[in-house]
Amino acid sequence: MASFKPTRRTLLKSGTAAAALAAFGPGILRHASAQDADLAPYKSAQIDWRQVSGETITVAVIPASYFENLIALAPQFKSLTGIDVRFEKIPPAQIRQKSVIDLTSKTGTYATHAADPMYYALYAANKWVESLDTYLNDKALTDQAWFKLDDIIPAWRSANGVDGKLYGMPYDGEVTIQVYRKDLYDAKGLKPADTLEAYMSNAAALNTPNDRVWGAALRGVAGAGQNMYIYPSIFREFGGDWMKGGKLTVNGPEAEAALAWYVDIMKKYAPTAAANWNWPDIADAFSQGTVASYIDAHSSASVINNPEKSKVIGKVAYARWPKGPSGKRTTSIWNWGFPINSALPEKKRKATWLFIQWAASAETQARTAHRFAGPTKRSGVNRTSVWKDPDYIKLMNGFGENFVEATMGALQQDTDVDWRPRVPQWPAIGDTMATAIQSALSGQATIKAALDDAQRRIEPMMRG
Amino acid sequence: MTARRFRIIALLGISTVFLLAWAFPIVWSVLNSLKTDTDVLAYPPKLVFSPTLEAYRDVLFGSGSILPNLLSSIIISVGTTIVTMLMAVPAAYALARLRFRGKKLAGFYVLATQMLPPVGIIIPYFLVLRNIGWIDTYQGIILIYLSFSLPFAIWLLVSYFEDIPFEMEEAAYLDGASRLKTLWRIIIPQVRGGIAVTVVFVFLNAWNEFLFAVVLSGNTVRPVTVAMFNFVSVEQTLWAKLAAVSVLAMLPVVVLGVVAQKHIVKGLTVGAVKGGGRR
Repeated sequence: MASFKPTRRTLLKSGTAAAALAAFGPGILRHASAQDADLAPYKSAQIDWRQVSGETITVAVIPASYFENLIALAPQFKSLTGIDVRFEKIPPAQIRQKSVIDLTSKTGTYATHAADPMYYALYAANKWVESLDTYLNDKALTDQAWFKLDDIIPAWRSANGVDGKLYGMPYDGEVTIQVYRKDLYDAKGLKPADTLEAYMSNAAALNTPNDRVWGAALRGVAGAGQNMYIYPSIFREFGGDWMKGGKLTVNGPEAEAALAWYVDIMKKYAPTAAANWNWPDIADAFSQGTVASYIDAHSSASVINNPEKSKVIGKVAYARWPKGPSGKRTTSIWNWGFPINSALPEKKRKATWLFIQWAASAETQARTAHRFAGPTKRSGVNRTSVWKDPDYIKLMNGFGENFVEATMGALQQDTDVDWRPRVPQWPAIGDTMATAIQSALSGQATIKAALDDAQRRIEPMMRG
Repeated sequence: MTARRFRIIALLGISTVFLLAWAFPIVWSVLNSLKTDTDVLAYPPKLVFSPTLEAYRDVLFGSGSILPNLLSSIIISVGTTIVTMLMAVPAAYALARLRFRGKKLAGFYVLATQMLPPVGIIIPYFLVLRNIGWIDTYQGIILIYLSFSLPFAIWLLVSYFEDIPFEMEEAAYLDGASRLKTLWRIIIPQVRGGIAVTVVFVFLNAWNEFLFAVVLSGNTVRPVTVAMFNFVSVEQTLWAKLAAVSVLAMLPVVVLGVVAQKHIVKGLTVGAVKGGGRR
């Protein structure tokens, strides 16, 4: 086994070198990347990176800065392995559709794609993707001592696993946290909420629509990844259990209390339009100073700190989810992971694994984050070690008070594998729940009626 | 106020409401495309602002330039239009003039492809193209676009062909012209207007198509309707750039619309009165 253990000093050294080269612009970076010196941190892994040199694979990603940074480094991967990677950028809504079409038809168009963790149950049930364990345990393909799987955020690995097997390697992810206007809170002597009850009363205290400041905002628009991304946290915090007695259950007293809380805060203290808002809209409103607090992805920090459009820079602070009546804090679990398409021929599967190993490695994570030359740095790196790197912490704390603590606290303590029901029928169930939540919010149905109706619709899906 | 004046005012009022509803998205896009991201988000919305072409510069010449996508859209739309017209004109003529076995059935079949919801046939199309290796190619997308543009064009053209008095054709035959020559020399010049309208509609449909394009395209062939979506990222919506791309994507359509306006209006009337009822 490899005895190489990079010290922080050597890591930092290579980082400084990369940063210095990168300062001359992407052209030079690309040129420099071809040089061997740059690849030393990878070559210390005891595997033959060039074993399937000459292969070409296509990787589908979504248009997002954290993938752009990876794409910018692809020439380094090419010179390390001799494998060509073609990236295809597909918007989030369509990437699910396109990859499912590709997987069902076994055409092997995408060797891997940025996958939604909620889809692995479906993928694994149909054997569309391969378990990564095979590759991780193959000494010819993975140097475990170098790759350090354990360093990758455990919550994300378990979200991408089915029955104890890992199906998608986390690349970038997020947690939901409280984001609030410290100046407004301080002026009223408020503290970030520790309980959902306090979150509601904070919102009440700050809600002054006449001055165009609303107390809070949560995702209102219907969608499995929209309102059904926020509601499950509330549901779990109220003590809800998706799998009651082995049966998928979305109604009942806990669900009613959770949905009532959500509808209440949205109706009383959120801008009316928030019923149709998705996360970018919430972040936009917050950056314009019209929302005092929201609970959403920690990664939205980069939007509300964008000097080109934000008016609240320097006034933002963060905290973990408020606790619910159950005493729990429950964050979302989200990451874009890379699975391996099982329709590929063996050589391409190996090439895909080498790509995944490279992308998820500590070195590439750092090179696409704080050591990236471009203007956007990733806030969703997949490794605990990077989150402990002083350079990274310094960069992240630029987003505002308590950012790293809130994010890490959420990642380490507030995750909950059963945050959403992990069943192959998820896509349909997610949509059904999203519609139910929206109909309660818009007042088309009472809370109880909306949830009971959803339960009635979901039961046949689980049977089929 | 006289009843007549009241009526005029009421009509004006109603038309203004409709005009506003229709024009608003366009005005909104044009205005936002000239703003900075800060101004886009300003409240109350700024009507007076210092316009900038930055968004246009970015989307045209920046790192994610949409010029290749505009080119893709042009190749697809022009290609679809040419192939459609080459096949639709003779087909429509045949359906309008010739008597042949199975004509009714053929007419129905042409229309039948239009009866399926597009979402339901995407996957079969994907598989077909995949098997012949035509995913992410111009010929693949144009082939699929023909499946909806061709029936549409044929049925639009049939009504024009039926309008031409048979006597004109007869006169040509008496002078010894062949059927093809008659079609080319006598009939087509008569239906110039109809052909222009059809060209415009076929082009517009292909230009604006999104559903098939998003599934069947890839990195090589990516029309602007698909590329545009990348400005709505998971991190944020780049409103100014999105608006700028929308305006750029609208331009060819608007130009074509203005050029062909006379024909379009006439074409719609002809279709409305005669297209369906006569058969």
